[in-house]
Amino acid sequence: MSVAQDDKLILGTQVFGSRLLMGTGKFSDSETMVQAIEASGSELVTVALRRFNRDRQEDDLFGPLSELKDVTLMPNTSGARTAQEAIRAAVLAREISDSPFVKVEIHPNPHHLMPDPIETYEACVELVRQDFVVMPYMPADPVLAKRLEEVGCASVMPLGSAIGSGGGIGTAEMLRLIIRDSRIPVIVDAGLRSPSEAAAAIEMGCSAVLVNSAIAAADDPVGMAGAFAQAVSAGEAGRKSGIMPRSDQAVATSPLTAFLDGSEPRN
Amino acid sequence: MTIQVNGEAFLFESGSTLVALLEAYGVTGDRIAVTVNEEVVPRLRREEKTIQDGDQVEILTFAGGG
Amino acid sequence: MAEGNSDMSVVADMPDWLNPLPWVEIAQTADVGDVQRALRTNAPGVRDLAALLSSAAADYLEPMAQRALTLTRRHFGRTISLYAPLYLSNYCNGGCAYCGFAADRMQERSCLNCSQVEAELLALKAMGFEDVLLLTGERCPQADFDYLFENVRLAAQHVHNVSVEAFAMTQSEYAALSEAGCMSVTLYQETYDPDAYAELHRWGEKQDYLYRLDAPARALAAGIRTVGIGALLGLSDPRTELICLYRHLETLRREHWRSGVMVSFPRLCDEQGHYTAPYPVDDRQLAQYIYAFRICLPDVPLVLSTRERAVFRDGLAGVGICRMSAASRTTVGGYLPDDATTGSQFDVSDTRDIYAFCSMLRAQGLDPVFKNWDAVFSALSEPQKI
Repeated sequence: MSVAQDDKLILGTQVFGSRLLMGTGKFSDSETMVQAIEASGSELVTVALRRFNRDRQEDDLFGPLSELKDVTLMPNTSGARTAQEAIRAAVLAREISDSPFVKVEIHPNPHHLMPDPIETYEACVELVRQDFVVMPYMPADPVLAKRLEEVGCASVMPLGSAIGSGGGIGTAEMLRLIIRDSRIPVIVDAGLRSPSEAAAAIEMGCSAVLVNSAIAAADDPVGMAGAFAQAVSAGEAGRKSGIMPRSDQAVATSPLTAFLDGSEPRN
Repeated sequence: MTIQVNGEAFLFESGSTLVALLEAYGVTGDRIAVTVNEEVVPRLRREEKTIQDGDQVEILTFAGGG
Repeated sequence: MAEGNSDMSVVADMPDWLNPLPWVEIAQTADVGDVQRALRTNAPGVRDLAALLSSAAADYLEPMAQRALTLTRRHFGRTISLYAPLYLSNYCNGGCAYCGFAADRMQERSCLNCSQVEAELLALKAMGFEDVLLLTGERCPQADFDYLFENVRLAAQHVHNVSVEAFAMTQSEYAALSEAGCMSVTLYQETYDPDAYAELHRWGEKQDYLYRLDAPARALAAGIRTVGIGALLGLSDPRTELICLYRHLETLRREHWRSGVMVSFPRLCDEQGHYTAPYPVDDRQLAQYIYAFRICLPDVPLVLSTRERAVFRDGLAGVGICRMSAASRTTVGGYLPDDATTGSQFDVSDTRDIYAFCSMLRAQGLDPVFKNWDAVFSALSEPQKI
């Protein structure tokens, strides 16, 4: 049974009513971002760690985000290229947010931004030890997913396709295996382009989706955030209602069950 | 004395505390994280942390990210 | 543990993860639409299994078989892996009401010594077997853990894959067996129905439902590579049993994801225990259940023994089933040429010799596989630590 069939999303000890997690990057201004978060109904949003800029104090997101009720911050470790850097980023971020949540994100290659599985694993081991609620962004790899579950991660966040690519769910086959065997929530992170893809992810058994670019880069980010919220709800309702299967099964002609009639066995 | 704040030189009074530095640097609000010479200084320790010549200080905050 | 059947009051609680109730209802009420849905969905789950176990699915045997054939071929190729059971001993302290081995039933018993076991292993090797399942009854002085351990070590010197089907053990016992060369452990819950379980297991260690239920997990935690699980069909409502079996497998697969799980479909036939199965399963039903498992668990080995008749086995070989025993003797010493043998736990229905059985497989386009594992890797690696 997939996690999505439970009523609520549970991460660490916290219960979330929304299965849509939102990223805060790439918005034109923080006002739009705040409105988009409100429209999304998201209760867990990611932020990144940056150097304080005294000339642009308005860039600090903490102020605007702290106005939002029922929103928990999940700092990410983007920019980190090694486990050590990610651990450091997580510790610093916890200083600011007081949130135990951390999205472990380690991508050494600045072009494709694919997560480094080995550094990610090592960072997760240490961050769990330091009592973080650890949410690793990871390649859609069923073995890595179990390894990360074993070390105590609160969820796994396999990619649907490359960050910012809008490639949709290109990893469906691997995601199905991850979902089948996972005992922790599986959250598709990265690659979703449209609300229908978010619905599809929830329908296939993902516990939640994390969306950023698709909302921030839409013509109307606030409208798109609302559309994703509806899509995620629709996906959940659809899954719970039992989705009609495809009818494309080819059936061979020679009978395989004749032996059960007491006649000659199949040859 | 000269110290480094976020990678840039900053003139500051020797022996003052980190809290004084943050004020002098123009940090409003306490939603920041600070490292001095790569060591994290927790919020409650900023009052007692004194800044020395040549210290490397990093002040971090949140920005948009996915 | 106290002997005797005085204390029947303790009925184990099923753990939550095993709870079959919502799915049993589906298995009882599913209609044609549910069955068609289960046959078409590309990632079937427990709900689909329940539908395929239902009486509505009985009209869909042929499409179920077709789907099972496709999936079996996709995941296991055109092969059947073969193993042979080797009954070490039929001494037994068990009190299973349905079993001819039970302590209060059989009169004449025997137990192989080392040289006899070796002679049996050589006889099996001469037939080509490299995959041997060592069996005993419940733990007893004549065939205790040390006896089993020694025979595992002996067998591992002769064949590539040694499996054990005996009694429920502690994790450290499983670890010792693993180090002695045991690759897999088969242990059926017999029945997942706690009430039936309490009633049928009249005395002894085996009365502990939860201890037995947890045994496959202990085996895997101890480094055993694969466990075989199953329900002895006939003891309780088969659909409930099979849904619990599926849930058991799901849980094992999630917790012990490095390990393998196999499923067998033993059913109670006319044994020597003066016991009549209250929920008999006929051929059509058993075939349906096997197809249903293949459809919902495409990559799990499904096993069928020589308990079943030849015509039934031939019909299911490669159509759901991918692992079979062959040329089996279920008597102690059965492979020895001249020795007097003593009573069997069940009668072999498929009595063909290995050559006849392999000819049948080849005639169906299936390749008999005697060895698909080489023990050299495990000899090099440390036992798994959890």
